[in-house]
Amino acid sequence: MIDQLAMMQARLNATPHLLRLGRLFCETVLLSVDGDEYYLTFEKGRLEAITPGPSRKTPYRFALLTDAEALAEFWRPVPKPGFHDLFGLVKMGRGQVAGDILSLVKNLRFFKEFMALPREMAKEAA
Amino acid sequence: MMGIEAITGRYVTVEVEGRALRIYFEEAGQGRPVLCLHTAGADTRQWRHLMNDAEVTAANRLIAFDMPWHGKSLPPEGFQTEEYLLTTEAYIETILAVIDALGLERPVLAGCSMGGRIALQLAALHPGRFSGFIAIEASDFQPAWYDIDWFHRPDAHGGEMGAALVSANISPHAPDVERWNTLWMFMASGPGVFRGDLSFYTKDDSLIGRLGRIDTAKTPVHIIVGAYDLTCTPEDAQRTADAIPGATLAVMDELGHFPMSEHPEGFRPFFIEALAKMPAGKARAEAAA
Repeated sequence: MIDQLAMMQARLNATPHLLRLGRLFCETVLLSVDGDEYYLTFEKGRLEAITPGPSRKTPYRFALLTDAEALAEFWRPVPKPGFHDLFGLVKMGRGQVAGDILSLVKNLRFFKEFMALPREMAKEAA
Repeated sequence: MMGIEAITGRYVTVEVEGRALRIYFEEAGQGRPVLCLHTAGADTRQWRHLMNDAEVTAANRLIAFDMPWHGKSLPPEGFQTEEYLLTTEAYIETILAVIDALGLERPVLAGCSMGGRIALQLAALHPGRFSGFIAIEASDFQPAWYDIDWFHRPDAHGGEMGAALVSANISPHAPDVERWNTLWMFMASGPGVFRGDLSFYTKDDSLIGRLGRIDTAKTPVHIIVGAYDLTCTPEDAQRTADAIPGATLAVMDELGHFPMSEHPEGFRPFFIEALAKMPAGKARAEAAA
């Protein structure tokens, strides 16, 4: 997962429209995959740091908790119904959003497109 | 496609709840009238692909209008101090007023999402005004899993947030260009309009108790739903169809919540199939006699 996140980091930081969309986003987001924690620190839309957990002392604005199998399907070029969107994962009980959900909603397009970057990369590779 | 399209747009002023409303409407085609209703937070542009489809418009006169507050229809006078909250009653009155103003005789009613919901309300409450109902991404009731107030607040752009939210309902099979054209309408909607539509869609459950009174022998009801629709799922549509004796249902495996807009080619055969289930012009005339 850490390698995948590093690839997403490189892609995000080289994607002008996402940096523009995220220019006011300076937050730490907790991504939890099968219980493994990754603290993603964004600064003006750039992903500056990926810090593996566990940590009980790292504050975060909001969290996305899911499992590796669901993420793998989410990242396929054409996911199955429900796996095609973060809120689909939540609706199916394969994901959970915690923390300041309004912060997520205010930056929803940015965060969704960041999370879906591996899908874009898979489409390009296909 | 270069060149001038077949769609024409005009304005009509109608009275709803005692107030004058200037409504923008478009039409294309000839023959059996089919009145098309857009989804929450959007406008008539969602129907433009079907209105430009010569096979569809050869025998069908497609008419679509922007609800007040939406698209090129203005909000009512005094809107600046008003909280827009769509109600079932105002929605019904608006549709019937447009039908009267345009002189439409028992049109087929085709509505998507909240337009599908109100189509089923009209099937229960005013069936004699229509010849049949095509209810797309329509169900009896959907409570909100989100806070509708997110989409109207002074510190964020409700349209952009709304677009990001509803993107959850667009199929990954949808062509990118139409995905983004679909989302553009949400991005561009007026402040508080999507919230006001969602108030109707997520709080009024009065349709549930009315479904059983719909008489599909007189006015057929055909429901269409996309598998990638997270808001109105195939299960929601099936439950709704099961509660309407004689209603038919089609599930579109590769489409989402805005099928006519997000993936016109994918939706086309399902809409043509739905039109074929509706009474033809001659049968409509006999039924009305």
